[in-house]
Amino acid sequence: MIPPEPAGPMKTTREQQTPKPVEQAPCSQFSRRNALGKLGASLVGVFAAAAARTAKAAVQQLLVSSSAPKGYDPTKHSWRMAVDANKCIGCGLCAEACKKENHVPEGPYYRTWIERYIITRPKAGSGEARGEVLVDCPNGGMHGFPEPPVAKEDILHSFFVPKLCNLCEHSPCVQVCPVGATFDAPDGAVLIDPKYCIGCGFCIQACPYGCRFLSPVTKTAEKCTLCYHRITRGLKPACVEICPAEARVFGDLKNPAPNDPLQAFYENNRVQALKPHLGTEPRVLYAGIDKEVR
Amino acid sequence: MRRPFNMPPQVVRICLLAIGIVASYLVARYFLTPPSFRQYGWYRGEALVELRQRDTVFAGKKACEECHGDEMQKLAKGSHKTLSCEACHGPAQGHADNPDVAVDKSNTGVCLRCHEANPSRPKWHKQVASKSHYTGSKCTECHVPHSPGDVP
Repeated sequence: MIPPEPAGPMKTTREQQTPKPVEQAPCSQFSRRNALGKLGASLVGVFAAAAARTAKAAVQQLLVSSSAPKGYDPTKHSWRMAVDANKCIGCGLCAEACKKENHVPEGPYYRTWIERYIITRPKAGSGEARGEVLVDCPNGGMHGFPEPPVAKEDILHSFFVPKLCNLCEHSPCVQVCPVGATFDAPDGAVLIDPKYCIGCGFCIQACPYGCRFLSPVTKTAEKCTLCYHRITRGLKPACVEICPAEARVFGDLKNPAPNDPLQAFYENNRVQALKPHLGTEPRVLYAGIDKEVR
Repeated sequence: MRRPFNMPPQVVRICLLAIGIVASYLVARYFLTPPSFRQYGWYRGEALVELRQRDTVFAGKKACEECHGDEMQKLAKGSHKTLSCEACHGPAQGHADNPDVAVDKSNTGVCLRCHEANPSRPKWHKQVASKSHYTGSKCTECHVPHSPGDVP
């Protein structure tokens, strides 16, 4: 047991010290009132800084909105892309136009590309419904496709599938970005802030559709932006503009055009999303693809 | 000796340290957070403005129509009506801004790019095996691209 008394003698020693005026001075400087006053002042300072920041943000937002090209409010649009694979002729114009429009670096970097699916006939008597699945994509399909690697008679089914960012509603890429550089814009585009991307590559690994790449030029992640600089000016994305077969359909759900091709696409087709089991809820919907398409 | 709330000095010190850490975080956040952050969500709203300030390369069919309406009408009658001008003639924003600038003519093999026979192409699409179809130099010797049904 600790004896209850030791406080007594200590108190007396302090009381003995107090009469000295030299010792009293620091005590009065660090009084409760003094400390609380300093604490209050620092809190006021912090809140003043926060208030100043809010004011600065408000002013800068006004300045930003006045210097930006007017007439575009991202909350008043809902852009959608759809792909009708029945119509794709595999010319590769979309992939090439995308490269030119967005200055995508030379080499195996594509924001959109075309895949060729070849499903071969099953071997006679094998009891299988479908044979092997061959997928190729030379140069992103930019310069067309060579003769298929199997004889024409052995092909059960062959078709082209244009691919692009699926613009997921639950985007894995947005969820993994550690710096908030990739985001789901209010108008349905999943975009990358090139100034804030640190090029860590998490989003590239997270995307189940392989739609992102690390640009060797900017060292940041890049992907399809739905040609954000075009659609906000009332133009179509470059791939949609260039597609000779109308396989790519683009529209605005909040402002449907007269005879809107997007609405017609939704009306006339049975659509599906890629990899629906992942729960990413792609906004890009496909018509006319086989179960083998991933 | 009077201390705030009669706290022992070590507690006072740790409280001051905590306040210091929080204050330095708030100060850092004040200087480092971009003003448009959280304008629309957990990202820089200004990025949207920056992304849409890029220049276009393809002008679009409407820009072509302003000067080349006659060709456009011809095109609209035939089966090439779905084609964009720039699909064959090349990206034309420079030409649309200044008609003296020629269109980028790097696109080559424009006809066969779509019409070379390939079993992966849909059946409805007209295709030719170019090797056996014609051995001459140009498709345009027999075909008119702006109105494919016509004969020159």
